[in-house]
Amino acid sequence: MPSSQTPPAGSTAVDPTAVRPPIDDARIVRTTPDALRAELLALKNDGFAMLLDVGGVDYLERTPRFDVVYHLLRGMTAPQPERVRVLCGVDGPEPVLPTVSDLWPSANWAEREVYDLFGIRFSGHPDLRRIQLPDDWVGYPLRKDYPLRGPALERTPRPSFALKSNVAAGTPVFGKTAAALQRQIVAARAAEAPKDGEK
Amino acid sequence: MTERPLPLAMDIVERSDTNMVLSMGPQHPSTHGVLQVIVEIDGETVVKADPEIGYLHTGIEKSAENLFWTQASTVVERMDYLSPLSNAMAYILGVEKLLGVADQIPQRAQQLRVMLCELSRIASHCVWLGTGGIDLGAISGFFYCFDLRERILDLNEFSGGARMHPNYLRIGGLRDDIPAGFLEKVDELIAMYYPRMRELRALLQKNPILQDRMIDVGILGADDAIAWGVTGPALRAAGVAYDVRKAFPYSGYEQLDFEIPTRTEGDAYARFLVRLDEMDQSMRIIEQLRANLAGGPVMVADTKYAPPPKETIAVSMEALIHHFKYVSESFRVPPGDVYSPVEGPRGETGYYLVSNGDNRPWRVRTRPASLYNLQVLKKIAVGEFIADMVVMIGSLDPVFGEVDR
Repeated sequence: MPSSQTPPAGSTAVDPTAVRPPIDDARIVRTTPDALRAELLALKNDGFAMLLDVGGVDYLERTPRFDVVYHLLRGMTAPQPERVRVLCGVDGPEPVLPTVSDLWPSANWAEREVYDLFGIRFSGHPDLRRIQLPDDWVGYPLRKDYPLRGPALERTPRPSFALKSNVAAGTPVFGKTAAALQRQIVAARAAEAPKDGEK
Repeated sequence: MTERPLPLAMDIVERSDTNMVLSMGPQHPSTHGVLQVIVEIDGETVVKADPEIGYLHTGIEKSAENLFWTQASTVVERMDYLSPLSNAMAYILGVEKLLGVADQIPQRAQQLRVMLCELSRIASHCVWLGTGGIDLGAISGFFYCFDLRERILDLNEFSGGARMHPNYLRIGGLRDDIPAGFLEKVDELIAMYYPRMRELRALLQKNPILQDRMIDVGILGADDAIAWGVTGPALRAAGVAYDVRKAFPYSGYEQLDFEIPTRTEGDAYARFLVRLDEMDQSMRIIEQLRANLAGGPVMVADTKYAPPPKETIAVSMEALIHHFKYVSESFRVPPGDVYSPVEGPRGETGYYLVSNGDNRPWRVRTRPASLYNLQVLKKIAVGEFIADMVVMIGSLDPVFGEVDR
């Protein structure tokens, strides 16, 4: 019997969606930010009346870095309903996509959530504010370079949870960075110094 | 990256001299959790409603990315805490598709999964019915609903060991076979269910005060429901008979005999009736499964994806190694992406899973039914009385663990 840890072919793929043929019942369409609106409008006119979901994925090392995934549905009461999944790659330090909240009102909150958690902006969105996090939050938590416990807590030692997000963010798994340790040593010595002088 | 200052929700509402802006929630007993709705009212009529969510955001999707594939099913159960099994079901079916073992799941495991999911649908609707009644002043119904729900949670505890989040559904099947005496307890539940529902229908459905509060309130038409991404009972109350169990059957739903209750009125009372009828249909499914439950194993035979039987660990070196690897490292899932939907009590609960070939998921995206169902409040609240907000929120049945995740 082979070991359970034999890595499968194409292990740790940078772009998993490209290495495997589709395994669910959805048709998959790939598009670019420029063609996105035309593509989705054509699908809507083709009968895909329901936009089920808009989600984001951060592939970190891939170019384009992000995928925004649209799930569409048509023929809800037909004998054979049909799904389509539109994947749109988007890149850049400030990624921007055109909004589709005017085509499907359901996209309104979904796009706000993608903006909130991934920092992908949607041009033309009527109300692009953070939705889950507080309005003054800094950073986009579902990006892979955002530490799991947040920047404020990333130096707190918690070995079992310091996993790949922290590695990507450059934090050692055991918590404190070397620089922070150095600062602590300097502070401790400075606190001791006047006591020696008094003696 | 510099962050531009963002306006607060209160500033977004356009005020006029005659209108008043009111913040409802987040600490409001009838918002079913921590929902804030900023409403602009003209007299008692709602001019604009802007739900503010996120008070319960716990970063479950981020947590799941940092857990093993086997561990992540524990946290996804915490999203929709009224029916945790339907979330686990969607996630697990997705992982099984990625692994390529979806066709190897034993029939007994599939049947028991469906039975437990339908039980949890009834339990979830019991909470909706009880608390929805309380919103409208009908206190007595609450106790009868929660009594029924407690019996279902007792079944959860009996089979999985925990009342609310049993983590009993596992990748590859079930954790264990059901304990002896479980099916007899299901029989007891079936026997007490119909008389109890008759009482509840007499108490709530035919109550003239509740009818006055619900009929013609929060009307949602079929076209609007589709455009706003509404699924589940709210969509079916608008006349669209879309149900994932019929449209994209999974886990043997195609062999079961049940109907999709629909109404055409689209108001709060129609949603109320659809959910009541759905509970009866769920009980029909449970009865069929109870009568035709297959024997055999409840876990795939491949010990890569399932822990080996406990009794073999003491005598087989290989079984011990597999068990150790399964617990300490989980297993690697071939790269790819999949969208896996199930019909939860609130609508289509889907998981978009991405694996990069590692033993942890690269991305776990939930399609939260409650989020889209709640969003339509912006549409249906306009023109209604402020006092009917509680009716509309209750009739959409949002669960904030799932809305905020």
